[in-house]
Amino acid sequence: MALGRKRRWLVVSGVLAVTGLMMLSLWAAMPQEVRSRIAAAVQVHTRAGNLERKPLRYIKDPNPAWSSIAVNAENNMVVMTDENLFRVVEYSRLDNTPPKARFTEPKRIISGDQTRMEMLCGAYIDPKTLDVYVTNNDTQDWMPVFSRNAKGNVPPDRLLATPHRTWGITGDETRQELYMTIQYPSAVVVYRKTAANNDAPLRMLEGDATELADPHGIALDLKNDLMIVSNHGHRRFYGGAAVSTLEKETWEEWIGKTTADLNTLPRRYIPGAGKFELPSINIYARNASGNTPPLRVIKGPKTQLNWPSHVAVHEDRGEIFVANDADDSILVFKTSDSGDVAPVRMIKGPKTRVKNPTGLTLDVKNNELWVANMGNFAATVFPITAEGDVVPLRVIRGGPADQIGLMIGNPGAIGYDSKRQQILVPN
Amino acid sequence: MHDIRYNAVDDEVLVPNPFSNAILTFRGGADGQEPPVRIIQGPNTELNGPDLLAIDVVHKEIFVPNRGGVLVFPLDGNGDVRPKRAIRGPETQIEGSSIAVDPVHDLFAVTGRDKAILVFSRTASGNAKPLHIIRGPNTQIDRINQMAIYPEGKLLVVAMPGVQGDMEPPRVFVGMWSLDDDGDVAPKWTLTGKQTGLKKPFAVALNPEHKELYVTDMRLNGVMTFSVPEIFQH
Repeated sequence: MALGRKRRWLVVSGVLAVTGLMMLSLWAAMPQEVRSRIAAAVQVHTRAGNLERKPLRYIKDPNPAWSSIAVNAENNMVVMTDENLFRVVEYSRLDNTPPKARFTEPKRIISGDQTRMEMLCGAYIDPKTLDVYVTNNDTQDWMPVFSRNAKGNVPPDRLLATPHRTWGITGDETRQELYMTIQYPSAVVVYRKTAANNDAPLRMLEGDATELADPHGIALDLKNDLMIVSNHGHRRFYGGAAVSTLEKETWEEWIGKTTADLNTLPRRYIPGAGKFELPSINIYARNASGNTPPLRVIKGPKTQLNWPSHVAVHEDRGEIFVANDADDSILVFKTSDSGDVAPVRMIKGPKTRVKNPTGLTLDVKNNELWVANMGNFAATVFPITAEGDVVPLRVIRGGPADQIGLMIGNPGAIGYDSKRQQILVPN
Repeated sequence: MHDIRYNAVDDEVLVPNPFSNAILTFRGGADGQEPPVRIIQGPNTELNGPDLLAIDVVHKEIFVPNRGGVLVFPLDGNGDVRPKRAIRGPETQIEGSSIAVDPVHDLFAVTGRDKAILVFSRTASGNAKPLHIIRGPNTQIDRINQMAIYPEGKLLVVAMPGVQGDMEPPRVFVGMWSLDDDGDVAPKWTLTGKQTGLKKPFAVALNPEHKELYVTDMRLNGVMTFSVPEIFQH
């Protein structure tokens, strides 16, 4: 009798557990809109009331903020990430927005709450499969991968958990490796190209000797076996090699957890030590890892570097192209350059339509330089040898020609200047 | 940047910079690529990735959450300065980095362990216990971002962007508590719901003169102004 009751209890418990798990799975699989409606029905309770009302005023840019760009010339494929509307969009390489058109309609848009994409900042196209790899900065610690056919609000075909503040991305197809920069703690992480879920990187470059300082863009020169990294110049110090605070946990265990610190690389800095350095382009051996110094550094007032963002290398020309965000310019250096040197060429001026460029890539097949401008939602295309205040060959606009971008991105704080009656919004 | 505060007395703007381990002060109305007028940075500061801050323009102090504690600097501090005092230790229960100061009632509020808001005496030092702890299921706190205080009403206003990592969390709101609240208490007021349009409120600032509340929303990349005269009545 007792055994029978126990068995019945076990059966009931089992059924309840399975039902619970099924409900959890259903909840997770439910579209966000449905989940939000259900949740809205369960109102937040208060003591004096919910002050639900429409905003008096609402500042919002309806246009995209292009943050990165990738081109596949063989398939006339241009992919850009949009940090304002959280989208990946695809255009044709030959698109050219007519001057009076409001914008060019993308061929394909991937966007929505199923995509695991928010503050998008890097893009890479697999030259064989045409899969698109994108990096998220700050609010989603994932690298989603979308197939050639992905469209709309779809889950990624593959997802890799990445450290918090991942920014740049590039690939080495020969060795089937992916390279990414981490802004802070400053690092370069290298993964197997097929890495997924909680996989650990193959190797990392980090530590005081690396001179990494808020790294952003990354490019590979496979002809000369070099890795090129742009740095904004914010530095902290370990006193030598990077000091991990992981004790018994493996990488997979650590990155699989959700913590208050998100997936910030667990590192122990010297308290109090920090520095603002000049921005730089650091050049390393391609396979540099650990606390390895750069082979050479391009840095100093003559370089005119100012928030250098995405970078690209033209191996045959021996040139490094830099999206120089805060200077509204594109800089070109020789890969052999070192120290405080002036760029060999610069694209800058009102005719160029270069405005807060963060994204940049090269189409070597067609000898074209592509720039994604965050400040005016335009992709501008130049000849690879372009110099000075030149008119772009083509422009793909995501918004009206007579407007500029608000560039509100991840507004994590707000202040009020009562003297000037102004709202202060850092990004 | 995850915080910004305007000092109306000296007409200055303060921001933290965790990547370079510094507190920067700019001229009010600073524009373009203007350098800061002061930088707190260096080994004596003990700063460890300052992410948020608060200022007290009456007593001329900067409050900086610092890995399980709070460092207090002089408002005009510059260079490699030591903190005036530090609140840290297990009794404090401080965790996270959101903070706001009430110079009128000599209090400050900071985030604490287990999704709590801790209220301390403004002059607390060392391993001090909080005066009040707002914590528990009735608070409905999932995550706290920027906080602001309306001192005249002894009111704490908090941006609650919902569960970390969720793209459109089901429970998001701006929550408001009295600085006298203690225990497992629901917010006095909230600002949430379909009409507000809020999806992931990240930050809050107050304008008592115009009885307005400013909210930034990360998911919208937008800035909203709400008229909330109720919260400024006291």
